[in-house]
Amino acid sequence: MSATKVVTEPAPVRERRPPDPRWRWAGLALLLAAAVYAPFQLVPFHVFQLTMVLVYAVALLGLNLLVGHAGQISLGHGAFFAVGAYSGAILLDRWDLPYPLTLPVAAGVAFVLGLALGVPAMRLRGLYLALVTLAIAIFLVPLLKRFEAVTGGSMGLTLAKPAPPGWSGLAEDQWLYFLTLIVTVAAFLLAAGLLRSRVGRALHALRDNETAAEVMGVRLSFYKTLAFAWSAMFAGAAGCVYTWVIGFVSPDSFTVNLSITLLAGLVVGGLGSLSGPVLGGLFVMFVPSISQDVNDAAPGVIFGLLIIVVMYVAPTGLAGLAARLAGRLVKKIPRKE
Amino acid sequence: MSDLVVADLVAGYGDARVLHGVSFTVREGEVCAILGPNGAGKTTLLRALSGVVRVRGTVTLGGTTLAGRSPDTIARHGVAHVPEGRGTFMPLTVEENLRLGAYVRRGGAEVEEDLGRIYTYFPVLKTRLKQAAGSLSGGEQQMLALGRALMLRPRLLLLDEPSLGLAPLVTRELFRIVQAINAEERTTVVVVEQNAHLALGIAQQAHVLETGRIVLSGTAAEIRADEQVAQSYLGYRV
Ligand SMILES: Nc1ncnc2c1ncn2[C@@H]1O[C@H](COP(=O)(O)OP(=O)(O)OP(=O)(O)O)[C@@H](O)[C@H]1O
Ligand SMILES: [Mg+2]
Repeated sequence: MSATKVVTEPAPVRERRPPDPRWRWAGLALLLAAAVYAPFQLVPFHVFQLTMVLVYAVALLGLNLLVGHAGQISLGHGAFFAVGAYSGAILLDRWDLPYPLTLPVAAGVAFVLGLALGVPAMRLRGLYLALVTLAIAIFLVPLLKRFEAVTGGSMGLTLAKPAPPGWSGLAEDQWLYFLTLIVTVAAFLLAAGLLRSRVGRALHALRDNETAAEVMGVRLSFYKTLAFAWSAMFAGAAGCVYTWVIGFVSPDSFTVNLSITLLAGLVVGGLGSLSGPVLGGLFVMFVPSISQDVNDAAPGVIFGLLIIVVMYVAPTGLAGLAARLAGRLVKKIPRKE
Repeated sequence: MSDLVVADLVAGYGDARVLHGVSFTVREGEVCAILGPNGAGKTTLLRALSGVVRVRGTVTLGGTTLAGRSPDTIARHGVAHVPEGRGTFMPLTVEENLRLGAYVRRGGAEVEEDLGRIYTYFPVLKTRLKQAAGSLSGGEQQMLALGRALMLRPRLLLLDEPSLGLAPLVTRELFRIVQAINAEERTTVVVVEQNAHLALGIAQQAHVLETGRIVLSGTAAEIRADEQVAQSYLGYRV
């Protein structure tokens, strides 16, 4: 109520209250403004890189639902990304579908597949779940190569990228960027809505105390499977946008490495927060390629080190670290109401 | 009559059987205390009643069969379980915890009304609504767990060692509230407790469980008067 009100409370386990919600909105508005402004200031290659960061952020948003909010693990997220990418590619290639329509179809295919695989997978936990999801990722590449007639085999499929409409006055890279930005914003709104709903509360309850949630009537297997299917759906949508942006899909773009990089990116970016996926997207986009420049074997080493360092220094990831720093800054500004 | 009837209940984990045929009845609106040494299977018994562990045998509440049903179905039939160790959702706020208690219920207005009712039982929770539940003291967390269970509007309330780790004063306060709830809402209560004095103080019936079997049953007064119980659980000789 007033600045003089002194609240004594025991040391909080985790700060749940942001200093002031208005700061949050201001930050978001600023971020969005920067995101709209950026493509007009950057060279095409950097616009492309930024686009890919957003694509990965959408995929990580899904992984975050599963790992950060439902407390499960997946080493096979890249497989659903691939499913989305190939669904989009095949629809464009074989049926000549207008590309905006490929997005809901790709997301839907990934959702259904996630549901089908989630029913058995989500009966497992911990290491077993990790292994089964890893197996999904491992099986995918040979599977894609096997069905050459539809998938183009190891050669993959090459497609025309969505062309910018004349009225927009945008270059191709800018148009792709804005398409991706729209999908990203929609995905974030959807994820935020899901988490705020009754279902989101149920997921959090399961993550925090499975037994307590269960005796309250939260259906364990149902929600775990649903979370898995949602995470697949976001990955599928991201994969489809990936196809728009790259204009090419091949099995070797979606190896187990992608799944592991996504999980690493999410952990480093920050589990359970909404900004984690964006920071994780930066990680997925830049860390592998930068470390590849150092040495072919470097990505593995650098991932490992980064994860260990983050776990020690900032268990809540970069997002948590940023929030803490921002919180400290904001506290220095005298509050009035 | 909404009695709880348990007959020949067998339950365990995997191949390990913990309960070997437990039978007892709790009349509607009564408090039943379950006493017993560590590892006797008290927690397992409550888990069996709420469906978290698989069971064989009979469990009925007011004639409805609960044995073999899933936890969410049992919760929908009005069985609320305050698990051992309270089961607080630490990062969620106090209010979110409470609202989760009403998870199986629809109907916003009733839930709001019940929140108000919970605050009259536990005024301290009202002052902590937006706080992370994990930052509450042990006693406050136990009150939260109880309040959260009440949000289900339970017909049957299962309490697993509510006094665990609490100061005597807080424990007594807690039992006073349980008694009030039992009296005002006519909620049937099964309470597992190490603190036999307090449990027998609010219970009508009591049972002693040892290695998965009920070895002694009676009214609270009878159990209190039993020499064996007095030595093992009350710390004195009659
Ligand atoms: N999840 C589990 N998996 C396997 N065995 C278990 C599990 N939980 C309990 N047990 C076993 O079941 C038996 C009964 O345990 P239970 O927790 O029901 O005892 P209790 O009477 O509640 O004991 P306490 O007073 O210590 O809480 C013990 O031998 C215990 O080792
Ligand atoms: Mg116990």
